[in-house]
Amino acid sequence: MEETRNLNIEAIAKYSANLPKVETVRILKLRHPPDVKDICEMIRSGNLERLVIAGDMPGYFKPVFTKAMAMAGANTNEIRLASFQEHGAKGENAMDRAKAIVACATLGVPFPLAAVPGGNPVNHSTLIIGGGIAGIQSALEIANAGKQVFLVEQTGTIGGHMAMFDKTFPTLDCAACILTPKMVSVGQHEMIRLLSRSKLVSVSGKPGSFRVKIRQSARYVDVKSCVACNLCAEVCPVKVESEFDAGISVRKAIYIPFPQAVPNAYLIDETKCTYILSDGKKCGVCVKKCPKECINLDETDKIIDLEVGNIILATGYELLDVSKIEQYGYGVFPNVLTSLEFERLTNASGTTGGRIVTKTKRLNKKTKEEEWVFSPEGIPPESVALIHCVGSRNKKYNPYCSRVCCMYSLKFAHLIKEKVPNVNVYEFYIDMRAFGKGYEEFADRIRQEGTFVVRGHSASVTMHNGQMQVRGEDIFNDRLVEFKVDMVVLAVGLIPSRGTEELSRILGVHRDNDGWFSELDYNGRPTETDKGGIYVAGMCQAPKDIPDTVAQASAVAAGVLGSLTSGKGIGNMSSLSLSKIEARAKKIHTI
Amino acid sequence: MPIRVDPKFIDVLDHYGAEDVQLCYQCGDCSTVCPHADEIYKFPRKSMRLLQMGLSQKIETTLEPWLCYYCGQCSTQCPREADPGETMMSLRRWLISRYDFTGIAALFFKSRRIEILSVLFISLLTGIFLGYYGFSGGSVHIYDGEGAFLPSTFIHQFDLMVGAILAVFLVVNAIHMWYLVMIKGTTFSVPWWLYLKELYQLPWHFFTQKRYSECEKKHKHPFFMPWFIHLGLMLGYVTMLVIVMVFIEELQAGPEIHWPVHIFGYLATIGLLSGTIYFIRKRLKKNYVQYKKSHGTDWVFVTLLFIIVLTGIFQHVFHRTGLFELANITYVFHLMVVVPWLLRMPFTKWAHLIYRPMAMYLAAIRRDAIIRQKVVTDPYLVLIK
Repeated sequence: MEETRNLNIEAIAKYSANLPKVETVRILKLRHPPDVKDICEMIRSGNLERLVIAGDMPGYFKPVFTKAMAMAGANTNEIRLASFQEHGAKGENAMDRAKAIVACATLGVPFPLAAVPGGNPVNHSTLIIGGGIAGIQSALEIANAGKQVFLVEQTGTIGGHMAMFDKTFPTLDCAACILTPKMVSVGQHEMIRLLSRSKLVSVSGKPGSFRVKIRQSARYVDVKSCVACNLCAEVCPVKVESEFDAGISVRKAIYIPFPQAVPNAYLIDETKCTYILSDGKKCGVCVKKCPKECINLDETDKIIDLEVGNIILATGYELLDVSKIEQYGYGVFPNVLTSLEFERLTNASGTTGGRIVTKTKRLNKKTKEEEWVFSPEGIPPESVALIHCVGSRNKKYNPYCSRVCCMYSLKFAHLIKEKVPNVNVYEFYIDMRAFGKGYEEFADRIRQEGTFVVRGHSASVTMHNGQMQVRGEDIFNDRLVEFKVDMVVLAVGLIPSRGTEELSRILGVHRDNDGWFSELDYNGRPTETDKGGIYVAGMCQAPKDIPDTVAQASAVAAGVLGSLTSGKGIGNMSSLSLSKIEARAKKIHTI
Repeated sequence: MPIRVDPKFIDVLDHYGAEDVQLCYQCGDCSTVCPHADEIYKFPRKSMRLLQMGLSQKIETTLEPWLCYYCGQCSTQCPREADPGETMMSLRRWLISRYDFTGIAALFFKSRRIEILSVLFISLLTGIFLGYYGFSGGSVHIYDGEGAFLPSTFIHQFDLMVGAILAVFLVVNAIHMWYLVMIKGTTFSVPWWLYLKELYQLPWHFFTQKRYSECEKKHKHPFFMPWFIHLGLMLGYVTMLVIVMVFIEELQAGPEIHWPVHIFGYLATIGLLSGTIYFIRKRLKKNYVQYKKSHGTDWVFVTLLFIIVLTGIFQHVFHRTGLFELANITYVFHLMVVVPWLLRMPFTKWAHLIYRPMAMYLAAIRRDAIIRQKVVTDPYLVLIK
């Protein structure tokens, strides 16, 4: 037994000693591997047949015990791991869970087999929170199986981040071509009720029959009669930075996020609209202009009550605020971009029509200040630096790897090379994490295309006489290098989206140290949470790329559909008592 | 020449203060932000790498640790909190022990107890010797002249003896350093005239510490720069050393003040006092990255120096105000600290007084030699400096 945080080890040891067939229990208060000879002696003297290593990461010590077993002449296959961390021995009932894990391990029964909560009858409709690719995929899978889905999306359109992308790596497929048909089928599906501009307010009930309250903010435009003719936006006087374009272009207060939005209707940003902010005293020109008379500026928020059996969380991610990492000069130098900004710049539906250009100076007529904006007439960059791991794998910001940055940066290198003739592209990376199918080949291809891939991170972007300079250490060539560049694209680390914390509070779903939703079992049950009937899909569980997200979303759908059709019902993992797990483990063991 | 990998090296460096080297994942951020890293001398990442690989035989021939003045930029930027700045500091400590042929330096750095005990032992020995000498030959009521407790001629001889011991150690260690760097660690040919060409580097870096001033860009005013304080401390120290070694008779003469010597003494005291107080305060406050981790030897260094300065001032005041008994007793105490301090010089941090300018000198020679050898031609790489 290894030392474990905030678990009473003595109590677990005492409990384990009373389990049937348990010969000896030893507490090894060690972080380092214990002595092989010592354990070997213990096995020999006790004539032990099976070893159970219990602790937070028992697999780490397994080789030592295997050696000891072999030395003692026992069967090395009879080593069982009782991993507290993996099976979620944390929170309030951590002790009971830990005991159950040990009990299962001594019997040789896999814990997930014994610990199956169930019993509650399941309502056949499903709530999905988040309308990105994960939510869309899950919704379609479940709806195609003939079950009712409520898809809750906070913004005015589904599509999420994937709708913003130009190409997907490593195949360089057009992201929109994959996503928009799915979005359309979500919008048209008879089993999917799409609730845009909606937020989960509260949840009650138990697994299998949740009663959820959803607040749908007013859209001010009737979705059914709006034909997206754009006349309202033409007359709207308020200009706002477009969220969909990652802030590099301007939209009006009445807008449609992008032409293929679902639902394909305009909406009004109530935080910016002059009419709403002045309580109906000013403006209102869009109402007069609308030929279909579908704008109602006095619309109010709605509260929708739903009864659902399962809830899927697919809330996604957002970018780390990179302006706080000062050495890259984001927000100071105009042509330092985040990855999402660049993604919108290079997208054919973006503000420059897909031309990769540097920002140009323009006089803002209202504020009389000069500002840097992208315009289609801008000058293409002569050299671009792409810096990986900005805020990722950094103890000060995100200790974890954001997993997609290497690949999308390589994709950027390709797109720049493709679109801008005679451009120099410098990639500064620490470790190239090309971990997926076809990814390494993609990285090789980018290298062959003439991108200067520099093994070494850059930590300084400076400006000398209007010329940006990126300094870095080219470790493989044993050089310190300083490149003059016109544009810097930062591969910014990913963090859980803003509402994640609130949602975890409402639903009681745990989050890990980095803020992502905790799955029940990282290896065995990557889609479930420790709350029965609540699942996670996509980025909100951990950073992952589109293929993984889609795969997980489909897996979630399989889990949900299974719970609907198996007839066994679902229950709360946390309500599962120690005695129940023990009994079930014994039952499996005797079979 | 084959190089042996020393897998225990990283553990050895633990004693010298480099605790987090294993965390480094070689991103090169530190080399990027370092104001001193250039095309020839790339650090701290490279030194970190050599350390991780256990190439102690390679590190002992490098000069990079001496080219770092610990501005702390690298440690602030390090994404892994591997503390490259502190690692360079630890490597300097290790190099001091490596250059030292006696092995005493390594003992001091590894064990604080041995260091303090040795200081106490030599201090007591000095106290007993001086006390015996004073009481057998003179009177405690007389400070200077006939029948003095500690006559300045005697102290002068005593000083010169201690100085000679010191010089032997330092010269031998400096030659060892030269051997390691220029013979063992240099694979290319170094023409002899480069030694003459770059000779100016020695006094230049000794008296100005120019590189240190380049380190601290964030302080606008030079008076607030650690470089300035450090320069004052160093110049004060050297001035005092010269006065004590050469002009001790004038320094100790009469109750009236001997201005040509004393004016330098006062200036040196200001430098020493402000320097020691400044660095003790910084090390206590720990609000800058370079003062966060203080090795045991750092504390012994500043504390002893502070005691020396204080006892020196008191002795001076007592002497000039006519309190000869007190002056004599303080004098003994003063020397009880000074002698162990001077004798442990070559084995501790203090030795950087010699090694730093020496390293700048050798680094300049090596740089010239390397540039003579290879002309770097590469279309896309831009050389720095």
